[in-house]
Amino acid sequence: MKSPELFDHRPDPQLGDALRAALEPENHAAFAARVMANYDRALEQASGPTWEVLASWFRPGVAVAVALIAGFVFGQAMLTPTPADTASLDTAMAPAEGPGLAALVTAADPPDASVVFSSLVEQR
Amino acid sequence: MPAEAQPPPEPVRMGSNSADSDLVVQTLSGDRAAFGVLVERYTPQARRVARAVLGDPDDADDAAQDGFLSALVKLAQYDSRRPFGPWLMRIVANAATDRRRRRHVRRAEPLDPALVGGGPRPDAVAVRSELGERLRAALAELPERRRTAVVLFDVEGYSHAEIAGILGIPEGTVRSEVFHGRRRLRALLEDWKE
Repeated sequence: MKSPELFDHRPDPQLGDALRAALEPENHAAFAARVMANYDRALEQASGPTWEVLASWFRPGVAVAVALIAGFVFGQAMLTPTPADTASLDTAMAPAEGPGLAALVTAADPPDASVVFSSLVEQR
Repeated sequence: MPAEAQPPPEPVRMGSNSADSDLVVQTLSGDRAAFGVLVERYTPQARRVARAVLGDPDDADDAAQDGFLSALVKLAQYDSRRPFGPWLMRIVANAATDRRRRRHVRRAEPLDPALVGGGPRPDAVAVRSELGERLRAALAELPERRRTAVVLFDVEGYSHAEIAGILGIPEGTVRSEVFHGRRRLRALLEDWKE
């Protein structure tokens, strides 16, 4: 072995060989087989539970979907207006008295500004 | 004219000389045998490195196995432009360190060099040399990072820069750890040499 005082940046083959012999485990093939067996087991565990998870999600998923559809249908029924509630645009724009806004909009000549203003005030 | 179908890639066999990066790609595509070749190729190194960290051969094998399986999970993160060995050894060393920490918590006592030597295993006692015993005991007396650095440098042949990447420490620190580790080991072995 080399002098302990040397700060050598190259590997020391003598020390390396001795350490390798001291650390060398036995039966690498058996170890590799053990790792591969665990690899297979890990693959099985990774693929197996997927279906179980999907199956466990199925029933709650269907229940939620049915609840959502029922809620949507009920909501639609509640929000659809009855004929009595409806009012046409003409009805809404009809003035209480006088020609009102509709008459001003459809007039051939531009209205006097004071008429427009007073008409708007009347609408209020 | 229909294009000729490409032949399927050659299946990987144990003992294959395929490059590590090719084996990684094949493993990622689900080729079990490709992963088998990587395991076969790096088993001795991974077991030695884990043993350098942990001492006990059974714990070391558990850690090396954890390292291989952890590497498999992280394989998509591997940068194929870099060498595979240091990447894998970093994972193995981390797995061994994690296992050692857990063991420390469990035992709440320092490493015993006699225990680190592996204890009296009936299948190994006959072949264990005196030098081996001394070296294992000497290694056990070194701080974990120091002995791992020495093993990675002198046994596995990694460069200081690669060891820095494996251990996650600056390159200068690796040089220092290797230097001091070697000096301590040589001092401990001096009387044996004489």
